[in-house]
Amino acid sequence: MTLVRETYYLFVRGLKQSLRPWPSIIPSLFLPVFFLLVFSAAFANIRELPGFTAENYLVFYAPVAILQAIFFSSGDAGIDMVVDITSGYFDKMRIAPIRHISLLIGKLLAVGLRSIVQAGIVIAFILLLGGKIVTGVGGFLVILLLGALFGMAWSGVGITIALLTKNQRATQSAFILFFPFTYITTAQLPLHLLTGWYKTAVLLNPVTYILEAFRALTTTGWDGTAIATGFLAAACVAVVTLTAALVSFRRFAR
Amino acid sequence: MATPTDQTSIIEVRNLVKRYGDATAVDDISFAVAEGDFFGFLGPNGAGKTTTMRILSTLLKKTSGTVRVAGHDVDADPDAVRRSIGFAMQEISLDNLASGYENLQLLGVLYGLTPREARTRAEELAQVVGLAKVADRWVNTYSGGMRRRLDLAGVLMHRPRVLFLDEPTQGLDPQARRIIYDYLRRLNADGTTIFLTTHYMDEADALCRELAFIDKGKIVQAGTPAQLKAGMGGDVIALKFRPDVVLEQAERVVRSLVGDKTDITRGGDQQISVAVKGADQFVPRLIEQLDKAGTPPLSLSVAQPSLEDVFVKLVGRSFLEDDESQLVHGRDPFVAGGEGQS
Repeated sequence: MTLVRETYYLFVRGLKQSLRPWPSIIPSLFLPVFFLLVFSAAFANIRELPGFTAENYLVFYAPVAILQAIFFSSGDAGIDMVVDITSGYFDKMRIAPIRHISLLIGKLLAVGLRSIVQAGIVIAFILLLGGKIVTGVGGFLVILLLGALFGMAWSGVGITIALLTKNQRATQSAFILFFPFTYITTAQLPLHLLTGWYKTAVLLNPVTYILEAFRALTTTGWDGTAIATGFLAAACVAVVTLTAALVSFRRFAR
Repeated sequence: MATPTDQTSIIEVRNLVKRYGDATAVDDISFAVAEGDFFGFLGPNGAGKTTTMRILSTLLKKTSGTVRVAGHDVDADPDAVRRSIGFAMQEISLDNLASGYENLQLLGVLYGLTPREARTRAEELAQVVGLAKVADRWVNTYSGGMRRRLDLAGVLMHRPRVLFLDEPTQGLDPQARRIIYDYLRRLNADGTTIFLTTHYMDEADALCRELAFIDKGKIVQAGTPAQLKAGMGGDVIALKFRPDVVLEQAERVVRSLVGDKTDITRGGDQQISVAVKGADQFVPRLIEQLDKAGTPPLSLSVAQPSLEDVFVKLVGRSFLEDDESQLVHGRDPFVAGGEGQS
């Protein structure tokens, strides 16, 4: 059987798994919208701050909501994987006469599509709440593309932990990584308003560049450098996390 | 049991070793299973049964030795092995958030069936295992027995030549076990080789034609159930007589048939018991002679030694002494007795 065929079947299964039962995806949509509403209300006066140029905080914060939607959709990949491992379902897949890499690719593609769907829904909320995407439909599609790439890259973290620990709680705890990676960025304030060690940490965090790419696409316009840097950062994260996932996958059978 | 050089062997294991660090889970075992056989691999938990089975099914890498399944080496050509086998694992492994049909069809297409063929085969198997009415429902609504049957249907989607079953009736109630036994017998009669691990001795006795006992990673004895039990010194015949029969007279008749070297035990309440080999041929003669002597028995029973007895004799302890947790699990009230929905 071709790699494409078996990957397709596993992708469909992975997608169904990640969307079932459907109410379980509500929290991962609710939280980004909730934070967007709360923060844009709480920090409404920040636009009075000298050097803060965005027209309002909702517009400034909107890319963070998109990023969160992607974090939440990809974080579940590890949980889905560990459920399969502990139930023995993963072994059942491993004794099927398929290329084992298709198990990983199928899962990643499912995560990518779910990231696109969730980012799309959150963007719809942003637009309803008065936010905007200055780069239009083209920019919207680029956001989804970058979102899918980063979603797949981030899912490698949970998948790796699932394969190494085979433990549900350990895999679930990967969730806490969300906080430093999301918030030690330019999520709250633009880079030029940050100082000290915090600014250094923000600059070292690859997620900062993905966020800035989103911000360019939603707020500032077609900034080629910011967008390219965002894609590069996502690709670098992908190389690291997916290599780790692949290595732990190979160790699994020993 | 076939020898490892037998041409007709579908499973050939030579000098198989599996170590985890310092611990040896499988310690240099060799055996072979002939095509079409119903083979039982028996032993207490932790004996190495599941480890061996996982190596045979390509899930686990061995430390050393040679393993060939359906003519293919598990290391050199794992895909060919995988296409030939089905493995129903100890833990029922299903996608709970998918329907019975979705579960079966995915396995079908991964084993190379077209989606249409997979659907047809899934419907056929759902019928066979008695799940046709519920196969459109999500698996998380199924009872333990239904889940086990769906799991079994799943491993049969691609019509494997060899079926590995690891404790296939664990936690099931007697009725559910019987349904599974009947189906396994039919499969075997149709030519599927079955390799079963279990710690239920009655299950092995009822199903298997060949057995191997494994303990602490080593095979301690192999043979047919009858051969293994024959090593126990015969069947125990217990006779009971009416109160008016003189027991000494009856005992003299029995003595004349078994000779002087066999112990005859006299119980209270008009009973005599004696252990003999080949009880099936002995009993008619015994009854005939007792009738002739005017001391016909009121009742007669023949008790065969069980496989559990054989194991105790071989290793000096019972399965359950090793394994109390298993006993508790086997009686799990949330698993047993859940057959009602089908």
